[in-house]
Amino acid sequence: MELAALEKQLRTLQAESAKKIGAAASLADLEEIGSSLLGKKGALTDLLRGIGSLSADDRPKIGALANEVRAAIEAALESRRAIAGAAELSARIADETEDATTPGPLPAFGSLHPIPETISAIAQIMGSFGFTVAEGQEIEDDVTNFQLLNIPEDHPSRDLWDTLYLREPGRLLRTHTSPGQIRTMRAVEPPIRVILPGRCFRYEAVDASHGFEFHQVEGLLVDRGTTLADLKGILDELARGLFGPEARTRFRPGYYPFTEPSVAVDVSWGGSRDGWMTILGAGMVHPIVLENGGIDPETHQGFAFGLGVERIAMLRHGIPDLRAMLENDLRMLRGLR
Amino acid sequence: MRIPLSWLRELVDVQLTPEQLADALTLRGLEVRGVERWGSAWNKMVVGELLEVVPHPRADRLQLTKVRIGKDQVLEVVCGARNIAAGQRVPVALIGAHMPDGRTIERAEKMGVASEGMLCSGAELDATDDGDGILILDAKAPLGTPLSDYLGEDVIDVDVKPNRGDLLSILGLAREVAGITGAPVNYHTRSITESGEKISDGLSLSVDDAGLAPRVVLRVVDGVKVGAAPDAVQMRLKAAGLRSISNVVDATNYIMLELGKPTHAFDRRAVGDKIHVRLAKRDETLETLDHVSRTLDGSDLVIADERGALALAGVMGGASSEVGDQTSSVIIESAVFAPTSIRRSAQRHSLRSEASHRFERGQELDLAPVAAEQVAALISAWAGGSVRAGSLDSDPKAIGTLRALPFRPARVRSLIGVEIPSEKQASLLASIGIQCSDVAAASPVQVTRTRTVHTEKGSLLLASVPAWRRDIEFEADIAEEVARLYGYDRIPPTLPGRDLPGYRPQPTTLRDLLRAQLAAVGVNEAVTHALVSEELSNRHAEPIGLVSGELAESEGAASSALLTLANPLSVDHDRLRRSLLPSLLDRAEANVRYGAQSGALFEIGRGYGGGSSGPLEWTRLAVVAWGEMGAAAPGESPRLWDLNEMKRVISLLTGVADASPRYLRLVVGDSTLLHPGRSARIGGDGIAGLVGELHPGAPEWREAPRFILAEFALRGLSAGLQKVRKVTLPPTTPPVQRDVALAAPDGVAVGDLVALAREAVPLAVRVELFDLFSGAGLAKGERSVGLRFTFQPPQATAFDEAISDQLAAFTTSASKRYGTQVRGAEAE
Repeated sequence: MELAALEKQLRTLQAESAKKIGAAASLADLEEIGSSLLGKKGALTDLLRGIGSLSADDRPKIGALANEVRAAIEAALESRRAIAGAAELSARIADETEDATTPGPLPAFGSLHPIPETISAIAQIMGSFGFTVAEGQEIEDDVTNFQLLNIPEDHPSRDLWDTLYLREPGRLLRTHTSPGQIRTMRAVEPPIRVILPGRCFRYEAVDASHGFEFHQVEGLLVDRGTTLADLKGILDELARGLFGPEARTRFRPGYYPFTEPSVAVDVSWGGSRDGWMTILGAGMVHPIVLENGGIDPETHQGFAFGLGVERIAMLRHGIPDLRAMLENDLRMLRGLR
Repeated sequence: MRIPLSWLRELVDVQLTPEQLADALTLRGLEVRGVERWGSAWNKMVVGELLEVVPHPRADRLQLTKVRIGKDQVLEVVCGARNIAAGQRVPVALIGAHMPDGRTIERAEKMGVASEGMLCSGAELDATDDGDGILILDAKAPLGTPLSDYLGEDVIDVDVKPNRGDLLSILGLAREVAGITGAPVNYHTRSITESGEKISDGLSLSVDDAGLAPRVVLRVVDGVKVGAAPDAVQMRLKAAGLRSISNVVDATNYIMLELGKPTHAFDRRAVGDKIHVRLAKRDETLETLDHVSRTLDGSDLVIADERGALALAGVMGGASSEVGDQTSSVIIESAVFAPTSIRRSAQRHSLRSEASHRFERGQELDLAPVAAEQVAALISAWAGGSVRAGSLDSDPKAIGTLRALPFRPARVRSLIGVEIPSEKQASLLASIGIQCSDVAAASPVQVTRTRTVHTEKGSLLLASVPAWRRDIEFEADIAEEVARLYGYDRIPPTLPGRDLPGYRPQPTTLRDLLRAQLAAVGVNEAVTHALVSEELSNRHAEPIGLVSGELAESEGAASSALLTLANPLSVDHDRLRRSLLPSLLDRAEANVRYGAQSGALFEIGRGYGGGSSGPLEWTRLAVVAWGEMGAAAPGESPRLWDLNEMKRVISLLTGVADASPRYLRLVVGDSTLLHPGRSARIGGDGIAGLVGELHPGAPEWREAPRFILAEFALRGLSAGLQKVRKVTLPPTTPPVQRDVALAAPDGVAVGDLVALAREAVPLAVRVELFDLFSGAGLAKGERSVGLRFTFQPPQATAFDEAISDQLAAFTTSASKRYGTQVRGAEAE
């Protein structure tokens, strides 16, 4: 074959290829065109079979031209691929487009009840001061619930606790978490730092702020040289932990047979509309109670406090009626999530 | 205790406003419940002066009056009362005034004459009990002044704690106010003029047991005329919250409020000559003032005469000797009784009175003669009569003395945490009448009833505690007085920075994790009543023995014996629950009624029951779920709560708790709650309980939504302990799965097959049920059970044979035990 004819054929191939590639619609077509031109059995390979009949001088010329044509086709394929690829991507995107602005189905929301959650919050705050949780029994006896706490039989201070008694003689439902003080002191050596959360019971008519079942958290610290000032310090922190850094406390004398001196604590914060709200009772553990707990009141001093969980929960969550706590209405519970 | 401030001011100077006084008292530990203006409801009522009183031209019962209520303001008022005359000052209700009984005063024509208001009686104002005539005011009452300003009274209501019986009196409050302001207490006793007749003529007194009645004092007033007490007295009593009865009874109540000392007045005629303070005879009866006939007990203390009981000592007088209109001579009894005896009598007879309230809190011996004399003085002032000479006194030597209480000022400082110098402590205590001095000789400090401490005298102060402070017994009581007088608000807060206790496990650790997991999968925490009704408690009880062994030790074993209240508030809450499920289902049902077609509730709480050595408490976790599990996406159908979904939740929890559940046939049927054909016993490691669908016979049952219930004990629920798992690093070889399909005859429990598979193929790290069906290719009732075994070969080879051996052992033994046949086996 003559050089000139071969050269012409190559040029023609290049020109036709450019046309084909330019007309290709998809990446798949380009793939096919590419292999039909440049593949092992492709048109270029076919043409170059005739190279053997050329003179040794002409061969490099044709070789150079063939490379040039191959490069041109490859370049045309590449640029066309970019265009077709982009088009295909757009088509895919257009095809797969849906309205992603729908609100989305909700998971099944669960929630935690304000009473255990408040206990948990108190445990967390007190935990940072070294207090651990301990839990006592709800069915108590008169001795531990009253007598060992310096509340003798026939003492008028008994009027402070209206008690629910079991038919079993001497057994009652604890009226407060304070018997846990005795049980803890008898079980653990000082230094003691515990909180005792749990359910309590009283013979009390139900209204918006009272119930015959309620929860308390008792706190007890026994150590050497513990002071009323320490009690103020800890309770200040607790109040801030529960009601925010703005919370202010007011300490005033109170009366509990098992503490001396005794304290009533009021709190005031942004959320309290009525000024001071009484949230807990506290005091220095009475020497008689320390003694009943097996601790020498001459070497050890301590403080104790007891707070009503429902009251704190109501204040924190803005629940206006205590009865709502045991209603367990999902509409309220889910609102606490 | 309601304190009219005008009364308080008679005993101590008070410059503070009522609100300031209330704050000061509250910060001193005398919590003021409220400050009110007694009489503030008297609006549009003023002081008027009667200018003219003439008969009504057309009605005999009425009079026409002209009343001046201001400089130039004169009203014409028609009045029916007879006790009025020109020149008197009277309360005038103006047009538009609202009377305490609800009436509104309007301009009215009365028999042809217009009336421009109303002259008021004490009863119409609810100020006194006198409804017969107009309340005649002091001649100096300022004209036109609003009545609430003139007759009204500031009253503070103090919550007196049980240890401070001394504050149940104006005098006690005055002492506290004196401590605040530094003003002196001026209590001037009223003097009496005694007649020539002696009390001992014809009257004697004997007391059986001085322990029960340490001091009894009698006085007699002759020639009294029983009637209404002076208006001012009636109003003062009313402001203090007491009803006016008669001049004689009001005198005893007046002194009770003023001194805190209850006394009783007997009609002399109804009483014999020998007053005897003794215990009641068995089955002796007494009709008390409230006209209830009471059968007395041998431990009731009574005031009696030779004929029988006259009064329940310290609690209430008797009807037969009640002072009435015809009474002309009275015996005043003023005594101190043992507090416990009075408290028991009052409780025994469910009769709590103002008197018993004070007697229970202790009485001052010295006040017995003082109160008798003061009551006598008031009776003779208000009801006339003459006081007989002398008194009958069971023990004139029984007097209150200052109690010497040595204390360590250093100890007080260490309890409070503030450096209050000893001299400062002494001066604070002196402000409320507790004088301090140096001790003459070393004396023991009373720390508790049984504990005294000896110390050098230089470190001691001696407090002289007045008789009325019965609450101050120990050194710590002195510390409280010092702290409260110093001011709690002045104590700087500190943080205790001493030794910290060692590590203790938190019982709530696991519980809080479980709670969070449950909330995360859509279950809402509930808290329900521990006290339930008979009906609720009978609906379900945990089968005895369901929770046993190690789990029973840590979480508590249930007992079937019900614990019932001796004094329930109502039958709805008269016993302790044994299971959480009935209460939780009750709340679930309530939620469905509120419109929640779907929901899930859980509670972690206690069950209670009687045990052989006392009551038992156990801890359980219960779940009730119904309806859809969360919302489905549009066009999809939602998943519904069913037995499998509940099991999924249980597996989630046991994963956290390190327990593994198995489901076994429910054998015990002591439950009206669980569907007999759709429930199982939860067994396995670290967990025991029940799971099932609600019984179709239960009142809450519906075709839809279905309630799914579970209750179980879980290792670590009450103690919080979590097992830390050990891991072995996985080998590089991939896991191997083998599937076995068995045809199980009707009645074979899949749970049993799975349990057998786990036992027979110990090499398997996991055994799962991947397929379960009946129907095509199977006999009626027969089910195809597909089990997938996962193995983790330690190396690539020499494991297949062991696996095959174990699987073969399983299929053989399943066939023997349950009659199953192998339908196919496949290796991955």
